[in-house]
Amino acid sequence: MPKMKPGDLERIGERIKRTMLLREGESRAKVIVHMGTCGIAAGARGVMKAVMDEIEERDIDDVVVTISSCAGLCSREPMITVELQGEPAVKYVDLTPEKAKKILVEHALGGKIVTEYALAAGSERSI
Amino acid sequence: MAYRANALICTCTNCISNGSLQIKDALQAEIGRRGLQDDVLVVPTGASGLCVRGPILLVQPDGIFYQRLRTEDIPYLVEEHLLKGRPVRSLMYVPPGEEVPIPELRDIPFFKDQRLVALRNRGMIDPEKIEEYIARDGYKALAKALTSMSPNEVITTIKEAGLRGRGGAGFPTGVKWELCRNSVGGPKYVICNADEGDPGAFMDRSIIEADPHSILEGMAIGAYAIEASKGYVYVRIEYPLAIERLEYAVSRAYEYGLLGEDIFGSGFNFDVEIFQGAGAFVCGEETSLIASIEGRPAEPRVRPPFPVQSGLWGNPTNINNVETWSNVPAIINWGAEWFSALGTETSKGTKVFSLAGNVHNAGLVEVPMGITLREIIYDIGGGIPYGKKLKAVQTGGPSGGFIPSHLLDMPVDYERLQEVGAIMGSGGMVVIDEDTCIVDIAKYFLEFTNDESCGKCTACREGSEVLLTLLNKISDGEAEDTDLTLLEELGEAVKEASMCGLGQTLPNPVLSTLRHFRDEYDAHIKYKRCPAAVCKGITSSPCQHTCPIDQDVPCYIGLIAQGKFDEAAEIVRRENPLPAICGRVCTAPCEGKCRSGAGGGDAISIRALKRFLADYARKNGLDPTPKPKERKPERVAIIGSGPAGLTCAYYLALEGYPVTIFESLPVAGGMLATGIPDYRLPKDILNYEIDLICKLGVEIRTNATVGEDVQLSDLREQYKAVFIATGAHKGLKLNIEGEDSPQVIDAVDFLRAVNLGGEVAIGEKVAVIGGGDAAVDAARVARRLGKDVKILYRRTRNEMPAAKEEIEELDREGIAIEFLVAPVKALSENGRLNGLECIRMELGDLDRTGRRRPVPIEGSEFTVEIDTLVPAIGQEPDVVPMVDGNGLKLSRWNTVEVDPETLYAGVEGIFAGGDVVSGPATVVDAMAHGKNASRMIHNYIQGLPVKRGYSVTRPAIDVEVVELTDEEIEGLQKPGMPLLPVQERLDTFEEVALGFSAEMAMAEAKRCVRCDKESAD
Repeated sequence: MPKMKPGDLERIGERIKRTMLLREGESRAKVIVHMGTCGIAAGARGVMKAVMDEIEERDIDDVVVTISSCAGLCSREPMITVELQGEPAVKYVDLTPEKAKKILVEHALGGKIVTEYALAAGSERSI
Repeated sequence: MAYRANALICTCTNCISNGSLQIKDALQAEIGRRGLQDDVLVVPTGASGLCVRGPILLVQPDGIFYQRLRTEDIPYLVEEHLLKGRPVRSLMYVPPGEEVPIPELRDIPFFKDQRLVALRNRGMIDPEKIEEYIARDGYKALAKALTSMSPNEVITTIKEAGLRGRGGAGFPTGVKWELCRNSVGGPKYVICNADEGDPGAFMDRSIIEADPHSILEGMAIGAYAIEASKGYVYVRIEYPLAIERLEYAVSRAYEYGLLGEDIFGSGFNFDVEIFQGAGAFVCGEETSLIASIEGRPAEPRVRPPFPVQSGLWGNPTNINNVETWSNVPAIINWGAEWFSALGTETSKGTKVFSLAGNVHNAGLVEVPMGITLREIIYDIGGGIPYGKKLKAVQTGGPSGGFIPSHLLDMPVDYERLQEVGAIMGSGGMVVIDEDTCIVDIAKYFLEFTNDESCGKCTACREGSEVLLTLLNKISDGEAEDTDLTLLEELGEAVKEASMCGLGQTLPNPVLSTLRHFRDEYDAHIKYKRCPAAVCKGITSSPCQHTCPIDQDVPCYIGLIAQGKFDEAAEIVRRENPLPAICGRVCTAPCEGKCRSGAGGGDAISIRALKRFLADYARKNGLDPTPKPKERKPERVAIIGSGPAGLTCAYYLALEGYPVTIFESLPVAGGMLATGIPDYRLPKDILNYEIDLICKLGVEIRTNATVGEDVQLSDLREQYKAVFIATGAHKGLKLNIEGEDSPQVIDAVDFLRAVNLGGEVAIGEKVAVIGGGDAAVDAARVARRLGKDVKILYRRTRNEMPAAKEEIEELDREGIAIEFLVAPVKALSENGRLNGLECIRMELGDLDRTGRRRPVPIEGSEFTVEIDTLVPAIGQEPDVVPMVDGNGLKLSRWNTVEVDPETLYAGVEGIFAGGDVVSGPATVVDAMAHGKNASRMIHNYIQGLPVKRGYSVTRPAIDVEVVELTDEEIEGLQKPGMPLLPVQERLDTFEEVALGFSAEMAMAEAKRCVRCDKESAD
């Protein structure tokens, strides 16, 4: 292995930055894929995979993808919720992998709500 | 590979010993089975700190904290949370005393209030992945130091940060580095002292296991600053996992060129070697540690010269401990100002403590300097388990001291700890509750240091031996007052005459306990009492030792187990003339100290067993009372026929004295007759036991009020001695407006009226104020009279002083308690009470008893509609007319002042005891007074010295232990008390608790572990 230079630290760190961000639980945006039985049956896994692939492809390191259970609106699955730091969460319904990619790019990255797929802003409060 | 979740499983030594590696394997297998291996990464990490809850799993980015996992939980957890996104509540952390789990780690008080600097990477990285350390700013500080700072700038930064040695002594780290840098000679060395040896401390191990690179980086920075090129980590061989991770970290750092030659192309070389010590405590002392590395016997030498001048092989050597080193990169990265903003004037930054002992959340905590002990123990630690009281906090291990509970609000820093006789030490913090004996724990530390003394200095070697011998004498009840002086003098001498820190500090546990807990030493020496009922040489069994009337509990329980009820009843009777009463209403302090109940277990139902025996004797016409001695001529008068008076009369009668009891009420029994309702203590039971005492020739004159019907001065002329035991029957006032209404009836007056069978004019809607037994009794009586009744209490259920089982029955009888409510004003209209204005309270800060103080919520006043108010907030004696002009002294609480040991009231021939002396206390305390008074009165009459003797607790007879069959052992379970069904109780005063059957009693007696049989020697 060649001698380390101070700048190499950044490079090494960069390689696993996304993993570390995930682990620290802090990110600019969070995409929650609803994976209840209803969601999975309606194709939520494909939606999630599309989002994950897009993140990988674009080398995005400050968006976290996570899953959650049924959002209660089973007839409109697959659904995702997008949360941006300091903004109300937005729920999207009736998704396909393509729609999900668009939401990732325009809302999670671009900050602009994709109104045509959006159900409503806001999220329920739990304990 | 992009993952959507990380499952961080703790693999510290503690969690591994709880099976976390199996959890990790199960997790990986299940994730594979579910096809989630590309979604979820399983990461082994170092300790999260809440080790007592291990194995621990943190799922990120959700932040969900799982604890106490079992492998069988894993399939469900993976399916629910990792596949379906539904966190599993049943595996989450539930704070002590609460029911709702806290899902996220950052909301759990244990984590929320911590500030991580030294432990900044704990639980976040895989300690075996150098890349993960690097991704969290690892080796950035080293790069910064080597490429943009001079060694002097590094030293200045550390000095300005105010970092002090975390190994215990608190010497300023920057100053030490500077001294070492300025020392002539070389090569110079840096050493990391990882010889963590304090019993129960594991800060250093945890840091190494969680984040080994932080220490290597810190050492490299230090080496650069003092111009050393070689470093040693001295770590004890008892830490195999730490060694393994450290060795791996060293090899990875070499691979990356972060150790070795020309690091970052700066020309700076640094090599690290790991030295495994054999685990001698003295090696934590720096000169011994150096001797050990050099291959010499691990013994200290005189300082100066200090290691910074002449250390390893005579060369300047800088030694710091693990935690100090791991702080260094953080300071270089974020600056001196950032670091010194944390902490107090003299103590900067944070401190890692291993929180251990009697505390809910035992574990590893890192907190800012200046935090109070109370915050550490109650907010982070979750308080003391099993409702026990805090006694002390011990810091600094065997070199440290004990801090009593009343100093809990002091801020934790180097200077304040020293002021109160403790030390910061390396971070051991042991929480001690009321069931821990101070002498015993001082002995524990002395045994440790006595073992670990290297033997070089006579003062340490022999002094620790003599100190230990003295402590053993004390805990065996064989010491004298002068031994305490000797302990102190010898302790000081050992400190003075020892060469190293081990000897200089080993007397500290003794000296600091003598400073703060001298009364506990006195109790052992003078009264042969161990208040925590621990010291075997004194106590025999905790139940017998704790009983105020010395009931020989293990003997009678042992006899019940054998089915020898007659003999058992006779053993009870020897020390207790009122067993059927005690078997029903005693507060049973014995059960509070029962070994079977320790650590959340079920104490033996001692009271119920006693009741069984008393009822058995009564039903079978058995009277185990011994034959009285020959009649003596001297007559004794007793004023008051409550438990104190009756007990005194019984023992005086057995001695042969003619006794007359003067009772102002129409019935005998005092509070037993008028304060306790029939459904708890039926009158026929009470009268049966009083009759047995009368059969010994005791005369009870009812309706005879001393001070009215007869004068105390007359009694003094007619009787050789007088015992005043008139109790405390006057209810305390609420001190609120409108309280003088005739519909405000004190609980004591109300219960007395009902008990005497007279007309009780109370209304239909009754509010009882208070949370003690009198409040519960009054409410349950009012309920039985058909009234609509509720209790108002200013604190919450947890703080209610009433007996737990009585509160449970109150609930079953459908009586509501409104918590956090205090009365403000009694409202009346046309001279009749028609309401009570109340205010809501909230629990504020903890008070000195560790209970949260109720504080009124401004503007929350509301009115309760009632027509009768029953205050039950306490009682005091009412003795002025009786004692007037007789020279007796009253305290500010209107109690009679006596010599606490002899109960002599300071006037020739007069003694006093029970509630009239102590204020409202328990039946058994009053009986203990009565028993003591009978002995003192006997001595007084016989012209013997009126002086109380004390002896260690011993069983009266040897009762063999019953061998249990495997089947019996399997079936051991505390039986519930059979109770009268609720629907049958409410319109009668029938006894609620029905008592054990013979089978139940024998089964329960067999559950006793017979700790009296443990030998003291």
